[in-house]
Amino acid sequence: MAVKLMGGMLEMADIVLAKIQITINLMPFLMQGLLMTFKVSILAILFGSLLGFVLGVVRTLGYRPLTAIIGIYLHIFRGTPYLVQLYIIYFVFPSFGVGFLNFDSFTAAIVSLSLYTSSYVTEITTAAIYAIPRGQEEAARSCGMSKAEALIYVVLPQSLKMMIPPMASIYVVIIKSTAILSIIGISELTRQGEVAILRMPGDIMFVYGLIATMYFIYCYPVLRFAKWAEGAFGSIGSVQDQES
Amino acid sequence: MLWLNGFYNFRIVGQYLNVFIDGMLTTIWLSLLCLVMSFFFGIFIALMRMSTLGFVWRIAAAYIQLIRSTPLLIQIYLIYYGLPALLPFGNIFDETQTAIIALTIHTTPYMGEIIRTGIQSVDKGQKEGAQAVGLNSFQSMYYIILPQAIANITPPLIGQTAILIKDTALFSIIAVPELMGAGLTMFSETVVATESYVTTGICYLLIYLLTLILSGYAQNRLGGTAWRSN
Repeated sequence: MAVKLMGGMLEMADIVLAKIQITINLMPFLMQGLLMTFKVSILAILFGSLLGFVLGVVRTLGYRPLTAIIGIYLHIFRGTPYLVQLYIIYFVFPSFGVGFLNFDSFTAAIVSLSLYTSSYVTEITTAAIYAIPRGQEEAARSCGMSKAEALIYVVLPQSLKMMIPPMASIYVVIIKSTAILSIIGISELTRQGEVAILRMPGDIMFVYGLIATMYFIYCYPVLRFAKWAEGAFGSIGSVQDQES
Repeated sequence: MLWLNGFYNFRIVGQYLNVFIDGMLTTIWLSLLCLVMSFFFGIFIALMRMSTLGFVWRIAAAYIQLIRSTPLLIQIYLIYYGLPALLPFGNIFDETQTAIIALTIHTTPYMGEIIRTGIQSVDKGQKEGAQAVGLNSFQSMYYIILPQAIANITPPLIGQTAILIKDTALFSIIAVPELMGAGLTMFSETVVATESYVTTGICYLLIYLLTLILSGYAQNRLGGTAWRSN
């Protein structure tokens, strides 16, 4: 009995050691992928936030045609899955025959992810600007500020603070969306994992588990930050609230 | 209309119209089923999360955090490859059933969090009042709190439904014949990227339009315009 138990434990130890060995061997390869995921998500959040912020501010200015155009833009990006957007930007845009739309896979990834991000950020910016009481702008105008001055010096600083929590949750959404980029061959974390599985097909579950852990390590602090920021800066409602 | 043919050849699309309609129907019933199931399980997760027993709410919280901080794609892979290995009787689910299981597991925590905020938004006096008239805790939850909670959370619930519908597109990767799969089928057979993918996008927009109309109807029906202003 005791010998059998010892044997079983030794077997277990062997398996655990083998898994640790695989982890050590794969880590540099997967870290490359994580770095790529990081790079793509940072670039996308940067460009997407800039575009989304501008669109969001323009949307609150009240020029009817612009508001309508931005509304259609939002509906298109909110109503279709990111996968479809990626396919259209990567496969359909080159067929327009316009030179600079002939994206390589990395550019297509950044462009599509930025546009996708911007649709979220536009909603957040608009909601954050509307969340500031009207009296603030009216008081600024009656102090003699112009409309632009009131927006830049009074309204935007307050709404920027309110934008922090939803922006953090959007960042998590974007990080998770980068997994889809594996389909067009960007060598980010998921793709690296798939390549690793081609090398060792016996450990599919283990490798995917490793990747999931790495995504978790990347996303969880951001989620915690979002939750903390909501307490610290107040909330304008979750992003889903604004979707409908 | 002939000028359009150079860019978007609707005759080819016409040949694949039935594929796209089938795909749309699959996407719709798949999302409906997942919506109902994840809402049902979401109520349990929300109640577990609000429990005062340490090990109960910790399990729920861990589940919610794990799902929220990993991509759906990885979850699909884990369930697609892992489910047959976990079950003693091997692979009994086909791709569509695996997809339904994966999407339900993915959406339940989000639903749970939405329902939890809804339950917490109901005034405490409602529960005390229910207990005062002699309802037990199940009855007060079922008759008093949940109806109000669900009316309060309709907007985020509709938003989550829209996300759910878009998430089904990922199941084209494990060969579920839904809308994105229809687009991929057409592309692999005809090699016309524009027609295939733009049509897929238009079909998704049609479904989105449908949810917008339905949600407007539901909002008017459920709570009138009273709570829409906030």
